[in-house]
Amino acid sequence: MIALSVAAVLAVFLLYTSIAGGGNPSIAPSELAGRTGKVQLAGLVVGPVVGDAHAGGLRFKLKDIGGKAQTAVAVRYAGSVPDLFKVGRHIVVDGQLRNGTFVADPGSMITKCPSKYAPKQSGDPA
Amino acid sequence: MPELGRAALVVTLGLSVYALVAGAAAARLGRRRLAQSAQNALVAAFFTTVVASAVLLAALLRHDFSFTYVARTTSEALPTAYTISAFWGGQEGSLLLWLLILTGFGAAAVRLNRGWARDLIVWVVPVFAAVAVFFSFLVVAVASPFATQAAPPDGAGMTPSLQNPYMLAHPIFLYLGYVGLTVPFAFALGALLSGRVDERWLVASRRWTLFAWAALGIGQLLGAHWAYVEVGWGGYFAWDPVENAALMPWLAATAFLHSVMIQEKRGMLKVWNVLLVLLAFSLALFGTFLTRSGILNSIHSFTQSAIGPWFLAFIGLTMAVSLAFVFWRLPLLRSATKLESPISREAAFLYNNLLLLALCLAILWGVVYPMLSELVRGEAVVLGRSYYDFFLRVFGLPLLLLMGIGPLIAWRRASLRSLLTTFRWPTGVAVATGAVLLALGAGRSLPGLIAYTFSAFVAATIVMEFARGTRARRALGAESWLGAFSSLIARNRRRYGGYVVHASIVLLAIGVAGSSAFDSVTEAKLARGQSLEIGGYTLVYESLDERLAPNATEIRATLAVSRGDRDLGTLEAGKNAYTIEQQVSNEVGIRSDKLTGEDLFVIAEQIDPDGSVYFRVFVKPLVNLIWLAGLVFLLGSVVTLWPDRREQRRLVSRVSEVGVPATR
Repeated sequence: MIALSVAAVLAVFLLYTSIAGGGNPSIAPSELAGRTGKVQLAGLVVGPVVGDAHAGGLRFKLKDIGGKAQTAVAVRYAGSVPDLFKVGRHIVVDGQLRNGTFVADPGSMITKCPSKYAPKQSGDPA
Repeated sequence: MPELGRAALVVTLGLSVYALVAGAAAARLGRRRLAQSAQNALVAAFFTTVVASAVLLAALLRHDFSFTYVARTTSEALPTAYTISAFWGGQEGSLLLWLLILTGFGAAAVRLNRGWARDLIVWVVPVFAAVAVFFSFLVVAVASPFATQAAPPDGAGMTPSLQNPYMLAHPIFLYLGYVGLTVPFAFALGALLSGRVDERWLVASRRWTLFAWAALGIGQLLGAHWAYVEVGWGGYFAWDPVENAALMPWLAATAFLHSVMIQEKRGMLKVWNVLLVLLAFSLALFGTFLTRSGILNSIHSFTQSAIGPWFLAFIGLTMAVSLAFVFWRLPLLRSATKLESPISREAAFLYNNLLLLALCLAILWGVVYPMLSELVRGEAVVLGRSYYDFFLRVFGLPLLLLMGIGPLIAWRRASLRSLLTTFRWPTGVAVATGAVLLALGAGRSLPGLIAYTFSAFVAATIVMEFARGTRARRALGAESWLGAFSSLIARNRRRYGGYVVHASIVLLAIGVAGSSAFDSVTEAKLARGQSLEIGGYTLVYESLDERLAPNATEIRATLAVSRGDRDLGTLEAGKNAYTIEQQVSNEVGIRSDKLTGEDLFVIAEQIDPDGSVYFRVFVKPLVNLIWLAGLVFLLGSVVTLWPDRREQRRLVSRVSEVGVPATR
């Protein structure tokens, strides 16, 4: 009886994970080159930030957090821009690479909390 | 002053180590005086932690920036309330708060129960002490709140989003919940160590578990409300790792609170209960670790810190040691009775437990998946919102239905016929509700429709139970209806408080389903005088104003709201630009309809130099039921927690005289 219920619960779980698959890989800007699939990109915002998020898209660049690799990836983003977004912040966006530009899914941007409690990080110019 | 704080913490560490070593030796060798001494050391550790906390609080209030912690988390201009909240705003302070609550709870729980459960308490003391050793070691050696520096002229200040009344209460409630879960853990382990695995550890820790669980629940709702009105993205919960961190131990504790009843009444599930307590405590530690280690991509992350590895090691050690003890005591934990039928209250509670645990573990899997995939495949894979939403529906909806069935179904063995009689009315109400909603067009979201139908079913069972009980009491004596109703609750707080909590979960389900399955959203760029329409509302963008507040420039767009011919007044939405912190924050406009519980939610996403504004507008039906659910949840928790000497005496005498659980 109990075993049956446990098996049912497990079956639901396995079925979902095998059909719907996993989520998106989360990678750094320096690892993006050559990837065509959907990914989650986490990086540090590099200016200048130009364009309109609600008309044609916001354009900026992202580089690795921690600052080992200096490659910066061009990003185009449309949709809600979180309050904390600005140059020097850490953000996360979903999307995929198209013709050398990372086209982010509309409204997918998340900014990380700029905690003043923690020591400043090496890659953080702020 | 910092020396006093440091010294107090070193003494706390010493006292904790002593309570651990002497307590364990005393329990092992049966030395009464030594055990008393260990107990006193635990109480003394609380007082030394109070001294350390007082030092930190005084430093915060005096703006003593020679304390590194004070300089990093506050500034001269910060209002007093937020200066106090900086105590738990930073990592070192929040660890000190953990230790303070831990030693306080430990001392109180031990003192309150030493009279009637002495042989159990002697083993509970060293368990508490072991946890206290870990936390006092952290604040002494790894993350001291009393580090000093040459005082700068002013401190760095506090992030604007934390300068919010919610941030005074929300973290405190979460910590009371996290730390409170140590009490059942310590009693469970104490029971295993002493070999006294009867129901006494459950009776001794029941109220503590309830309290911790209620605090955790209220803390989460406060956090959700804060996200809704202050963060300004139009939602209240996003399956963020840190939100999940608080939800998981709450789910595990919820499962425990239910399965405990099965052990008390039928002597079953002994191993299961110990494992649930262990899981809840480990998840509470894991939650603290997640919030404080910055290991995940979270909107809350507090960046890398030195305490991460220590925490992981402690969680690993806790689980390994406790599981070893469970295994060692397995022969003692055999059930007194067996499950007789898959249709019985025991079985219903068991399904409830499985579903709660399944939901909890599915969330845990989602939280740790990025780390696991990083280890296995070399790249972190993140599971999105759809993953969590799926499991909330698949495991959460049956759970909702069970909430109506579980409390009413007969113990041991229920016949299908009796079920039909019992649930005739609730089923009728549910079917009618479903049909009406379907006719009104609720069919556009199947999960939403199911949630509403199940909610109607559960609500009907709750009303039925209260009505039946009140009638029965009135038949017994010549009381008034109101008198019968209140004496009904007073005589069985646990049961009827539980129903009130169930009612709050129903409200929560209706609110969540309404605001997520049946919401609507529109966005448009408007110039002055232009308008947009959504869900029957018409919004006209009238004017844009700029105001100067002490710490920020406030830009506000004013919108005139109407519905049909009815003028509903104006709504303001805009942004604050904080001068010193150089941050901009959305200030949303919300209009709540008190009658229908619906919110009109306006975000001014982008304000252009020409004065045109890009608006994003939501209509969220029934969302206010979520906040109402919080109040009802609090009421139900208070009812169940209210001191009830008669009940406590009955439970105590039952387990200490008979030693085995009585069956009904």
